[in-house]
Amino acid sequence: MIKAQQKPIAEIKALIAPYHRILILGCGTCVTISFAGGEKEVGLLASSLRIASAMEGQDKIFAEATVQRQCEWEFIDAVAEQIQQADAVLSLACGIGVQALAERYPDKVVLPGVNTTFLGMAVEHGVLVERCRACGDCILGLTGGVCPIARCAKNLLNGPCGGSQNGKCEVNPELDCAWQLIYDRLARLGQLDRLAALMPYKDWSKDYDGGPRKIVREDLRL
Amino acid sequence: MSNLSDRSTLPAEPLPPCQVACPAHTDVRGYIHAIARGDFEEAYRIAREPNPLPYICGKVCAHPCETECRRGDVDEPVAICALKRFATEQHDLSKGHAPGLTVAEPKEEKVAIVGSGPGGLTAAHDLARMGYKVTVFEAYPKVGGMMQYGIPLYRLPRETIDLETAPLKDLGVEFVTNQRVTDVDALLADGYKAVFLAVGSHVGRKLRIPNADLPDVWLNTEFLRRVALGEKIDLRGRHVLVLGGGNVAIDVARTALRLGAAEVSMTCLESCTTQPAHPWEIKEAVEEGVQMFHDRTFKEIVAENGKVKGVRCVKVNFRGFLPTGAPDMDEFPETEHVLPADLVIFAIGQGPDLSFLPQDGSIAQTPRRTIQVNPVTLATTKPGVFAGGDAVTGVGFIIDAIAAGHRAARSIDAYLRGLDPASVQPPEPQKLNDLQQKTISHIRHLKREEMPMLDVNQRKFTFDEVYLGYTEAQAIRAAHRCLTCGAGARVEETKCIACLTCVRVCPYEVPLLARGTANVPVDQCQACGICATECPAKAISMKLYSDEDMIKQIRDAVRKAKYNGEPAIVGFACRYCAYAGEDANVVKASLPANVQTIDVLCTGKVDALYLLKAFEFGADGVFVAGCLEGECHNDKGNVHAAKRVAYVKGLLDELALGNARLEMFHMSPDQCANMAEVVSTLITKVKELGPSPVRRS
Repeated sequence: MIKAQQKPIAEIKALIAPYHRILILGCGTCVTISFAGGEKEVGLLASSLRIASAMEGQDKIFAEATVQRQCEWEFIDAVAEQIQQADAVLSLACGIGVQALAERYPDKVVLPGVNTTFLGMAVEHGVLVERCRACGDCILGLTGGVCPIARCAKNLLNGPCGGSQNGKCEVNPELDCAWQLIYDRLARLGQLDRLAALMPYKDWSKDYDGGPRKIVREDLRL
Repeated sequence: MSNLSDRSTLPAEPLPPCQVACPAHTDVRGYIHAIARGDFEEAYRIAREPNPLPYICGKVCAHPCETECRRGDVDEPVAICALKRFATEQHDLSKGHAPGLTVAEPKEEKVAIVGSGPGGLTAAHDLARMGYKVTVFEAYPKVGGMMQYGIPLYRLPRETIDLETAPLKDLGVEFVTNQRVTDVDALLADGYKAVFLAVGSHVGRKLRIPNADLPDVWLNTEFLRRVALGEKIDLRGRHVLVLGGGNVAIDVARTALRLGAAEVSMTCLESCTTQPAHPWEIKEAVEEGVQMFHDRTFKEIVAENGKVKGVRCVKVNFRGFLPTGAPDMDEFPETEHVLPADLVIFAIGQGPDLSFLPQDGSIAQTPRRTIQVNPVTLATTKPGVFAGGDAVTGVGFIIDAIAAGHRAARSIDAYLRGLDPASVQPPEPQKLNDLQQKTISHIRHLKREEMPMLDVNQRKFTFDEVYLGYTEAQAIRAAHRCLTCGAGARVEETKCIACLTCVRVCPYEVPLLARGTANVPVDQCQACGICATECPAKAISMKLYSDEDMIKQIRDAVRKAKYNGEPAIVGFACRYCAYAGEDANVVKASLPANVQTIDVLCTGKVDALYLLKAFEFGADGVFVAGCLEGECHNDKGNVHAAKRVAYVKGLLDELALGNARLEMFHMSPDQCANMAEVVSTLITKVKELGPSPVRRS
């Protein structure tokens, strides 16, 4: 799932500084699960910003709402009235939700309250890690189910590099070396011979390098 | 995580076993929880609502609720009866016996109630509230039935009965005492549109054994009644043997002791493990010196020249009574012996005096010589005449009779309005399932609070009340043992996104995923509140408190804390531990006026939002007072609270408010008693930082 992290309050304060009536709009899916932008976080941020406003002698008005998914117009439209009443919408959705809002309400100021960080999962409660870069050309079938694009700091296709030490990455010694993980996993699967073959260069045009991507399912289009 | 795919579903809103077990379905959990949070008037209100005799029940209810209490599966049942007593003792009677009680417009119809025991009084109470003109006929000089003429004074002081019956007169109920009803038809002819027969079970029984009719062979009911009527019976020097092993037999034995008997013993068919009296009654009787002789059948009252010398007994292995009423047992050969006594009192059962029923049989009796009724409506075979309590069921508990009184009142009202009485009776409630072993294994053991009692040497010579009642601190500790069954987390399925937070944070391993959303099985949830507080989707709410309530309390607390220019401090104090058994009011009174505490049942319920709200409303400092680590009632509630405090401290720094304005105190028992001292450390820091720059009206 998409993982995000709330922006520092100082940054948010600066973003909302010009506006008086602000709708803090949460998103009930990915950012809720990543504890960044669900209904609970909307409440905490609203209270924090009310404190900040009062400390500065301002009388900003903060409204709170959370929709099921900000990346769908039908869900956003459920709070159309509150959006219209606000001078600015502080969206706690991922970048997709922020843009969906901006697109749906072209006359409305929409501000991001979170940094969309990565695609990942919780390895324990409160610990979220990156697992996928959405490169558009999945090679997990070749690497024992461990992604060298998302998990190797150098995105190496034929690792490990010389910086792999005791299973850790030289870029950040807290990180596991993805290629060590790949080696261990292939060894377990009895597929170490895969490592003898050189992995050819990857078609990066399917990644962002080919420009914004688009999927069209003609069979589904109305 | 093996339970993630469990798709079991549970019925909506099953009730706690205590409430289902109570014949009047009293909201036990409700009043225990109110006591636990220190709201004693609310506790009384809840306990009073389904029961017009809460003071009496608080003292002598047989409390079937405790037998069913699920805390009993963990260690020992919650002391429910003692807590009801506490609630009544705390109630300010100047507010009325039933504050907020509504009374309907007066109606024309007259209703007669025969018998003023708990069933009759309850029906009178309910019918009077419905507006009917109610007359209660009582054969004896005082109202109360078996409560007045059966229960010994040392268990139920008569002031308690007076206190309970006085409000009925205020409701307009007319009491006609010293008036034994002998003709039911005459009542109907006299303009009473309906009659409720609640005559109780006042006739003791003897076995037909030789010499049972001697003057020194007495009956349980008559003996207790004579004592209650004030007759001075002198048993000094006598050796009393009570035949029977039930609760009434115990009452008889202990009363005989108090009348000066030199020796009192009891003998019964049952063994020491199957004796029908409540175990605590047996224990108290034995403490007072009553001797027990189990596993015996009685053959003959041994007498010489008309003087009782004892009872000839044979040892048996009693297995229970057969449907015919005969004992199922074998006598052991050559075990015949005489238990010595010069006064024998039969306490082997009792039945109603039904000689007043019409001779034409229009009010039918059962083969067990009780009044025959429709069990749903309590209607007898005569139209307009209803019956309930011991006269129908045989000897039961007070609370059974109260339930029958309610049932009869509903039926009579329906009957008088031309409705089918069966249609107005509520369905039987559904009960929560048993606790699973896994849940039990996570529940902290808490010792049951002993009821303070008169010293045994002091009590056995007087009719002074034996039970003394809990102190406030004891009552609160006792109430904290309640598992608040069924009052836990509720998941709003449309908001739940199955993030698994609840599954991961629950200290009792209760939540599971079912059909794509979280499910917190109502029969296992321990209402710690941690899942509701941690849920990022706000999809979980708690039955007994809400964010809205808490935020209102926080707003009020901040307002009150703004006092005399001192820093306004708001604290969230765990009721389980922060007062450490001290009287919470004493601890709170020791705090300066600028420190206001909000009580929570476990700091695990303190949401990060509550901390921020306090600052938003203008608090200068905020603290959370919980237990020492490792001693949380809910395992890790205080750990979660500490983490939330740390998180909000970070936000306070980001806001440039200063993290020193917020503190988590893990209080040792010493510190609890001196909360003022602990909080003073926070006040000092807050003073250094100066008043909060958040200024709101």
